Amino acid sequence: MTQHNSPSISPSHAYEFLRGVRTALPLTLAFIPFGLLLGSRAIQQGLTHLEIPLLTGLNFAGGSEFAAVDLWTLPPNILLLASTTFLINSRHILMGTTLTSYLQNRPRWQIFSLLFFMCDEVWALSLADTQKNPSKTLSIGFYSGVTMCLYSCWVITTFVGGFTGSIVHNLIRYGVDMAIPAVFLVLLRGMWMGRRTALPWISSLIAASLTYHFLPGAWYVLVGTITGGINAWIMIHKK
Amino acid sequence: MTLHLQALIAILLMALMTYLTRIGGFLLLRGRTLSPRATALMEILPGCVLVSIIAPVLASGEPANIIGLGITALAATRLSLIPTMLLGIAATGVLRTFL
Repeated sequence: MTQHNSPSISPSHAYEFLRGVRTALPLTLAFIPFGLLLGSRAIQQGLTHLEIPLLTGLNFAGGSEFAAVDLWTLPPNILLLASTTFLINSRHILMGTTLTSYLQNRPRWQIFSLLFFMCDEVWALSLADTQKNPSKTLSIGFYSGVTMCLYSCWVITTFVGGFTGSIVHNLIRYGVDMAIPAVFLVLLRGMWMGRRTALPWISSLIAASLTYHFLPGAWYVLVGTITGGINAWIMIHKK
Repeated sequence: MTLHLQALIAILLMALMTYLTRIGGFLLLRGRTLSPRATALMEILPGCVLVSIIAPVLASGEPANIIGLGITALAATRLSLIPTMLLGIAATGVLRTFL
């Protein structure tokens, strides 16, 4: 099976890019208050107007940036920041494994550039799209469209947040923070495969909730995912 | 528009850590052919990641968050993305105001 676009079968790259933009648009809007909030916190913590977009542009991973900004000191504790970032983002190792089989036949430079932008949301939207696609190929145009929207929105709004102050706290308190779980829940509906997914998901939910409650730091995604994975593995072996 | 050297080093190291986690999964599995069982696991794992990312909303113990999440989950089984988002935001906002 060839993974390259042949014009007669596959839709054009531009069409796929626009499809990615359209799909990512609601999520892009939901990013705005979070970007503004991160930027305003970063300024309070002593990052400069240049350091904020540098951070959010080079380290495109919102969760770890909120943690880093909270831990920021003058001068910054470099080892603490680096190790926290690695821990929080270690879930991406697992996410990357789920994309590997769709990426393998691509040119090396393309794989390593695409993966640079693989934040939770880019990963989730692209993987869900790939699984829905009858040919089970990852659409590079779609991935790029999603990435362009979310990445530019994130870098711009975090930068702007450095100037706007904390006016957005209320927006988030009024429920905007439910937008991102909403996206993930809609994606989960697409991944639902009956009983085969029910038990692993429930065990993930319980394990992640307990871990979040009892362990400080960002272990909950890893513990939850691994617990669900072990559960799934046992079910697969029993068949 | 200043940039401190130590801040720059911190940001670059953080970026490197994040990038390592992003290419790590690919580097581990590339060139391997997965057994049918491993492929089946790879189909279930993404859902486990997403469920785990959402878990703190539940673990927060806030009734408004938990009920809001429940309403959003119910909406997600019936509606498309944008109505689900709007309903989830509205329900959570209303619940937080009144609970």
